[in-house]
Amino acid sequence: MATFDTKNIAEVHQALHSHLPSDSALRVKALESLLVEKGLVNSETIDAWVEAYSEEIGPKRGAQIIAKAWTDPAFKQRLLDNATSAIKELDYHGHATAHLKTVENSTTVHNLVVCTLCSCYPFSVLGVAPNWYKTAAYRSRAVREPRSVLAEFGVTLADEVKVHVWDSTAELRYLVLPERPSGTEGWNEEQLADLVTRNSMIGTDRDLSPSKGTS
Amino acid sequence: MDSVHDLGGKQGYGAIDVDEPEVPFKHEWEGRMWGISSCSGSSDWTIDWWRHVREAIDPVDYLTRPYFDSWAQTELAAYVDSGVFTLEEAISGKCQSEAFKAPSPISVDEAVAKDRKRDTNFEVATTKAPKFTVGDSIVAAVTASSHHTRLPAYVRGKAGTVTTHHGSHSFPDLNAHGIEEGQHLYSVAFKAGDLWLDCENADDVIYLDLWESYLEPA
Repeated sequence: MATFDTKNIAEVHQALHSHLPSDSALRVKALESLLVEKGLVNSETIDAWVEAYSEEIGPKRGAQIIAKAWTDPAFKQRLLDNATSAIKELDYHGHATAHLKTVENSTTVHNLVVCTLCSCYPFSVLGVAPNWYKTAAYRSRAVREPRSVLAEFGVTLADEVKVHVWDSTAELRYLVLPERPSGTEGWNEEQLADLVTRNSMIGTDRDLSPSKGTS
Repeated sequence: MDSVHDLGGKQGYGAIDVDEPEVPFKHEWEGRMWGISSCSGSSDWTIDWWRHVREAIDPVDYLTRPYFDSWAQTELAAYVDSGVFTLEEAISGKCQSEAFKAPSPISVDEAVAKDRKRDTNFEVATTKAPKFTVGDSIVAAVTASSHHTRLPAYVRGKAGTVTTHHGSHSFPDLNAHGIEEGQHLYSVAFKAGDLWLDCENADDVIYLDLWESYLEPA
C-alpha cells in the first residue's frame, strides 16, 4: 500500500539516484525485466502497446476529427458542445479524453495548449506528446511569452489576434480546432485531414493553407 | 509541492527545439517505457499520487534527465513505496521473491480496444452547492499544499474571472493521499497583464482549471 508520504518517497528517490545506472535505456530495461520476472507484466503486451501508439493511435485521429468538423457543421457543433461525446462517434475516445474540450481558432483568437505542472495531453486523439511539449522551455514560456514561443514555431500573430493559452491543470484536455484554410473549397475529408498538422491541434501551428511553403 | 516541476512563467530555459522529428519515440527505450506504463501500475496508486512521486524526483534530475527516464524512476519509486519491490530489487532489476502468475499477452488490436476503456471519468459528486458562478471575479489562494497541489505558483494571489463551471471533480490535493473527494472545478481566465509586468499583450488570456478551495471571492 502506498504511503502517500512525501518524505518517504523523497528518500526512495535519493536511494535510486545513488544506485541506478545513469543510462536511461538500462534503467528502463531493468524495470521491464523486474516486472516480467515478478509476473506483473508480459513483454509481448508491452510490444502491443508500443505498436498501438506507433501505428494506430496518433495525430491522424485528431486530423480526421478536425477535417470532419470542417465539412460537417452539425458535427462541428457537437465537437464544440461536448468533444468527449463527439469523438466517440469516430471511436477515438480513450486515454485521457474523458473530459475533452475543443477550443476554436478564429481571425481574432489563437489558442495554445500547455501543461505547466507535468505533461497532460489528449493521448487517444493526438497520440504520444511531442518531446518539446514536455520540456521545461515550452512549459515555462507558453504562459508568460506565448507570442515568442509561437514565433519560434514560425507563427507570427498580429496584435489584434488575441492568444488564449490553456494550462491543463485539471483532468480537462484541450484540442485546438484550427481555421479551415482558404483554397480548399470542395475538398473532401481525406484531403483536408492531410493538411492538419499535429502542432496545429496543440496551437503551435496556425496557417494550414495548401499553398503554404510553396510561395 | 513547491519544486521545479511548477514551471509556469519561470525563466532561463532557453529556446524550444521546434525541428525535432515527428515520431512518437525517438529511442526504443522510450517506447518500452510508454508500453510498460500502459500495462503496469498498482491499484493503490492514484493519478495524483503518481504525479506527486514524479514531482518529488531530485530537482536536478527532474530538469536534466530525459522525460521518459523520469517515468521509469517514478514507477520504480512508487513500487518500492507500495512494498511491491524492495529497494534492492529496484536497483538490481532482479526479482528476489516469489513471482505472480504472469498475465497472458494481448495483441495490438486488443491494446487499441483497451485504450478506449481508459477514458477515466474524474467527476465525483459533492453535496455542497457551488460557491462561484460564471462571471464571478476571484483571487487565487496565496498559499498551497506542501504535498501535491494543482494550483501553480504563477497564479497564486492573482485576480481572475470564472468562465466555466465543470461540476464536481476529484480534488487532487486529497486524491494524492488516496482520498477521493469531489469538489467544484472551474475554468478561470487570467489576463496576461494581471500576471506579468512586462507581458507581450495585456489582453492575451491564460486559462487554468482550478478547484473551488483554491479560490476566494475578489
